Amino acid sequence: MDNVSYQRFPTVRIREIKDDFLKFELRNTDASMANALRRVVLAEVPTIAIDLVEIEMNSSVLNDEFIAHRLGLIPLTSERAMDMKFSRDCDACDGDGKCEFCSIEFTLNVKCTSDQTLDVTSHDLVPSDQQYPVYPVGFMERAEYGGYEEDPPEQRGILIVKLRRGQELKLRAIARKGIGKDHAKWSPAATITFQYEPEIHINEALMETLTLEEKKEWVDSCPTKMFDIDANTEQVVVVDAEAYAYDDEIIKKADAMGKPGLVNIISREDSFIFTIESTGALKAADMFLNAIEILKMKLDAVRLSMETEENDDQFGELGAHMRGGL
Amino acid sequence: MVINDVDVREDPAWLKKHKTGKGQALEAPVKNAVDKFQLLPAFLKVRGLVKQHIDSFNYFVNCEIKKIIHAKANEKITSDVDPNYYIKYLDIYVGKPSLEQDYMVESITPQQCRLRDITYAAPISVDIEYTRGKEIVSRKSKQGQGGVVIGRMPIMLRSSRCVLTGKTEAQVAKLGECPLDPGGYFVVKGTEKVILIQEQLSKNRIIIDTDSSGCVAASVTSSTHERKSKTNFLVKHERIYVRLNTFTDDVPIIVVFKAMGMESDQEIVQLVGRDPRYAGILTPSLQECSSLGVYTENQALEYLGTKVKVMQKAWMKQTKSKVDEARDILQNVFLAHVPVKEYNFRQKCIYVGVILRRMLEAMMDPSFVDDKDYVGNKRLELAGQLIALLFEDLFKRMNSEIKRLVDSTFAKPNRSTVFDVAKVIRPDMLSQGLEHAISSGNWTVKRFRMERKGVTQVVSRLSFIAALGHMTRISSQFEKTRKVSGPRALQPSQWGMLCPCDTPEGEACGLTKNLALMTHVTTDEEEGPLINLCTTLGVEDLSMLTGDEINSTKAYMVIFNGLMLGVHRRPNWFANTLRLLRRCGKIGEFVSIFTNPKQRCVYVASDGGRVCRPLVIADQGISRVKEHHMKELKDGFRTFDDFLREGLVEYLDVNEENNTLIALYESEATSRTTHIEIEPFTILGVCAGLIPFPHHNQSPRNTYQCAMGKQAMGNIAYNQLCRMDTLLYLLVYPQRPLLTTRSIELVKYDKLGAGQNATVAVMSYSGYDIEDAIVMNKSSLDRGFGRCIVMKKASAPIKKYANRTSDRIVAPRLIADKEGCLRVPDRAQILDYDGIGGVGEIIRPGDIYINKESPINTRDTVPNPMAIPDSAYKPTPMTYKGPPGECAIVDKVLLTSNDEQQFMIKVLFRHTRRPEIGDKFSSRHGQKGVCGTIVQQEDFPFSERGICPDLIMNPHGFPSRMTIGKMIELLGGKAGVLSGKFHYGSAFGEPSGHADTVEAISATLVKHGFSYCGKDFLYSGITGNPLQSYIFMGPIYYQKLKHMVLDKMHARASGPRMVLTRQPTEGRSREGGLRLGEMERDCLIAHGSSMLLLERLMISSDQFVVQVCTKCGLLGHHNHKLRMSFCSTCRNGENIATMKLPYACKLLFQELQSMNIVPKLDLAEA
Repeated sequence: MDNVSYQRFPTVRIREIKDDFLKFELRNTDASMANALRRVVLAEVPTIAIDLVEIEMNSSVLNDEFIAHRLGLIPLTSERAMDMKFSRDCDACDGDGKCEFCSIEFTLNVKCTSDQTLDVTSHDLVPSDQQYPVYPVGFMERAEYGGYEEDPPEQRGILIVKLRRGQELKLRAIARKGIGKDHAKWSPAATITFQYEPEIHINEALMETLTLEEKKEWVDSCPTKMFDIDANTEQVVVVDAEAYAYDDEIIKKADAMGKPGLVNIISREDSFIFTIESTGALKAADMFLNAIEILKMKLDAVRLSMETEENDDQFGELGAHMRGGL
Repeated sequence: MVINDVDVREDPAWLKKHKTGKGQALEAPVKNAVDKFQLLPAFLKVRGLVKQHIDSFNYFVNCEIKKIIHAKANEKITSDVDPNYYIKYLDIYVGKPSLEQDYMVESITPQQCRLRDITYAAPISVDIEYTRGKEIVSRKSKQGQGGVVIGRMPIMLRSSRCVLTGKTEAQVAKLGECPLDPGGYFVVKGTEKVILIQEQLSKNRIIIDTDSSGCVAASVTSSTHERKSKTNFLVKHERIYVRLNTFTDDVPIIVVFKAMGMESDQEIVQLVGRDPRYAGILTPSLQECSSLGVYTENQALEYLGTKVKVMQKAWMKQTKSKVDEARDILQNVFLAHVPVKEYNFRQKCIYVGVILRRMLEAMMDPSFVDDKDYVGNKRLELAGQLIALLFEDLFKRMNSEIKRLVDSTFAKPNRSTVFDVAKVIRPDMLSQGLEHAISSGNWTVKRFRMERKGVTQVVSRLSFIAALGHMTRISSQFEKTRKVSGPRALQPSQWGMLCPCDTPEGEACGLTKNLALMTHVTTDEEEGPLINLCTTLGVEDLSMLTGDEINSTKAYMVIFNGLMLGVHRRPNWFANTLRLLRRCGKIGEFVSIFTNPKQRCVYVASDGGRVCRPLVIADQGISRVKEHHMKELKDGFRTFDDFLREGLVEYLDVNEENNTLIALYESEATSRTTHIEIEPFTILGVCAGLIPFPHHNQSPRNTYQCAMGKQAMGNIAYNQLCRMDTLLYLLVYPQRPLLTTRSIELVKYDKLGAGQNATVAVMSYSGYDIEDAIVMNKSSLDRGFGRCIVMKKASAPIKKYANRTSDRIVAPRLIADKEGCLRVPDRAQILDYDGIGGVGEIIRPGDIYINKESPINTRDTVPNPMAIPDSAYKPTPMTYKGPPGECAIVDKVLLTSNDEQQFMIKVLFRHTRRPEIGDKFSSRHGQKGVCGTIVQQEDFPFSERGICPDLIMNPHGFPSRMTIGKMIELLGGKAGVLSGKFHYGSAFGEPSGHADTVEAISATLVKHGFSYCGKDFLYSGITGNPLQSYIFMGPIYYQKLKHMVLDKMHARASGPRMVLTRQPTEGRSREGGLRLGEMERDCLIAHGSSMLLLERLMISSDQFVVQVCTKCGLLGHHNHKLRMSFCSTCRNGENIATMKLPYACKLLFQELQSMNIVPKLDLAEA
């Protein structure tokens, strides 16, 4: 019994990779692994976000904590996050923002002097530390676009507040490292999801019993357009298996047409298709790599505690399970 | 309901149109339905949502007030002493809202009034003519301002006298007012007060009813400017009697007839009717009269004279004989509204005849009994009418005051100066009378013995809809405690006039109602011209006719505002001609003409308080509103009034609706159809209009939502951040609903929403979702879902005292700390140098926010009151009280003074809250629930598209509630998100395209790759495995309700106790204990757990150690110096025992002793 290894060798095949988007296949593993990764990306990959705001002047229409909340939700470039310290663990400071290891200071100082409404955006947040700069997302790209008005909306930065003539906003903000478990602002993922890879088997023999119209009708009954009819062979072909939303529509339709078993769809329980979208704080790929790192660390922690006798008690019955039924 | 087929063929307009040939009329009507929806915004543009209030107030200010001062009893004041002296009112003006300050008249805006706690009022001024010495002087107006100011009238916002009328949105905003605010309320001493619409039974109308014993009775409530009276007719022992307050006893009806000069029995019977059965029923009454020996007018009056209640008024000289008195009562009290000129009772006799006939008919056929709850028999009393009542009363009182003053001045033998009345008119009485009535809601008019409470209410500013709904509310005069279903039930005649959904639950259920969207309430209209018109159109005057002619089968009686005008031989022609004149705009658009073939009457009504609504006129089922009309409306060439003027649309009141056949849609019209509804969803009111697909819901759910929509947090008004309300709830990120209705757009709820679109998954999760609890996503909360701001106001007046000293505000005094440094005390940390909390400072419970000091001596005169030493002041700081552990922020500080130069400081505290477990949420379908648990996003289910719900709702909420509308809202919202446009769900809107059908929504869903039924395939966030079933998921508009745990949670271990009983205090506000009540006590007794009982009821409550003298049984005392116990009665300490008992018990003994009852304790050895 003891010698049986449950070790598997998961493989990853990347399908699409962009700065803020990643789609890949994860094979030869099971749902617990896939889900653990998903959960870690969402909740435990650290990023940097504004956590402390000191408002010096605020004559805008929004109140102080409103603006502070909005500032917190602005994603900041967080490549440094893995190397930084949590403010609570930092020995070098008392967390007031003067510490390079755990905090980054930003200032914002805007006053509207024209008759036009002035948009205060994330671009107005200026990091005071130039050594290890952390910027609001899109801050660096801003230089490529000149003025504000004619820029494409996605380049104008994230709107914080609008000011009218005479209104002013002046504040100091301190960004810190944190994880999504504590507050959603530290979560690097806009979207992270996976799906089981569907395997679609069309019963060709049964399919041949259908007329072209029936085939068309059947194909059109799928809301996600998985199938199509080959124009030449008039055969039903699978176009996009992954579009299948496991909604059973197509199977129900086949049943309704009196052809049960026309198609057989099984979900492969050992391969997953991941989709990750980033908020911009981290590159999608980094996010996932960091997640693996953190997951490893967590497993190490478990293993460590497993090896030390005195820690056995902390797991109670679970400890016995982990030791393999001893 | 009586449906009377109005003969369209008599309508000249129709004749003209169809003159060309007979064949044309047979052609099938072209039925391409015209979309009449655009009429609705046009209607609301001219009428507004609270037009009924504003119209009524405008009518009062412009017309009625003039009528009041010109009334015979009010116009002239004369002196009893000097017969030559008089004061005559020539004219009256209500000016623009203004305030006199430091002898400068400044115009004021409503927002200023709210902030400064003053009344938004305008001066009332009069032109008068009076004698001064020997000359006649007149004080005339200059520039619309009368000669003499007699008082100040609170002005309704957006009425004709308000500064906001006729202003553009930008101008209104500049005055600090929200452009979307409907107005229709008053600002009195800084609080917004609305005068609720009062529902009453019609005045001056005959109501046939049955009394408790099942006998037919008739009652008429007469109301004229001078007098209000109620006359009852009842049947007792088969005889008919009149009951009047001024008679000690019921008097036989025939005697009354004879007293009114109708001596012949035959004439009486003829007047009642020619049906031989009538005479039969009347026989016992006639016999009684002759048995009383009453045959002549004089005998009858003498008989009535004996029944007159004797007024015990010593100062009134008994000048009139009994006969005169009886005649006076018949003239002035009995059916007071029927005019009697020079003791000619003919008209009153006919009136009584009609009442009798209707009673007799009702005796023979119960279907003739009137329905008291029928909306046509109801009148709504609005702000204008109520203020008019009050104003007249106060005006009369002011006049009598002036008269008293004049009399007393002239009674003095030698006067030094010439008396000038214009200088002695004091405006306070009117101003204060009006102001006090509106601010307290107590309407007391002694003249009519009227005493009403709760007429006004503070406008509820919980949400925009709450304020709007408050303006359309109708309160009934009916007692709330009585257990009758009739007045509470939904009346079919309410259709289109009153909202069938919006009524509170509980005791006021069905009594408090709300107006529907298009309802208009009429104001009084000039009667004279209409009466003349009726006569011109061939109404034969009653005085020319005998009883027989009046009751002839051919003629219909014409009744105008409850008065018999005469008879008409072609009632349908008469009615149609009047209607035609109305449609041409020759007579007022709100005049109603109603023929009642059963009663053989034509009712013409122009009185105020009737509810009516606009309808599209149809000729033989063909709508008069055509495509090109609507196009012109759309292009702005046409307004709603044009439709009205051209006779395309008309207002119908409830009675006239009985003469019509109204089709819901043009396509459903038949040749008998006379009118077509504008839009069916207008039967709902403002609050019910917010519900998407309400016609798919179980009806009580809509009622629940109507109540809950008023508690939802959101935006209140555009000026919400400039207001200083005592309590203000705001949502941080309010949204407009994804699934809207036409009503939402019309009432501008989409601009001032109160809720957020939450993605809801209908599934069970975690077990913390039982009993309608909802599971919330923590990340959603982090991102701002359900986040709200609570603002609380605290204000402090800077009082001025009699000795000319006053409170002062000073910078915090420094105190020395341990090291001897001078420091600001901890509690005063947030104070600025001016002694007032700094804006933006974080304030904790116990902190001082206004460092006020009051002079110790406020009574005796002080030499220099402005410069008394610091020692003469004692600190009276204002400290912040709030939930412990929570801190608020000083949001705003306002320093201002009111019109009495009273200086005050208002401070607004802001507290931002994120949802927590126990906060209450609700969808728009009466489905409320508390937040059961908050779960991390990674534990939440997710779809393969990455969608993760904000909220999980348990599916058990659906089967018993049957809120199908909510399911359709979810579907529609999902389709809306996918297609990027708002979907509609107006009530009954599917046929007219104002609500999307489920089929259409499903098609949209499928088009975007979703399941047609709105279900999604989800994975568990905890395991990563797919969920067993498909989950119904999509966006639903959720409201956060004002009930939050933070304001309610309460627990205590030990804490404050009452001084008197030493028991723990009661209630959350006093940090009270939780009571172990009698029922709980009974349980413990039954269980036999005596020690627990003792612990709960005594040890943990008010345990007290007493010394009891075992000999005399009375309580002794303990002397701590001598360390001995004594019995004060026995004067020794020999037999003292110590025991414990509740302090309340000891208190009881002492209280009993104080009333000479001596309770003694007889102790036994334990």
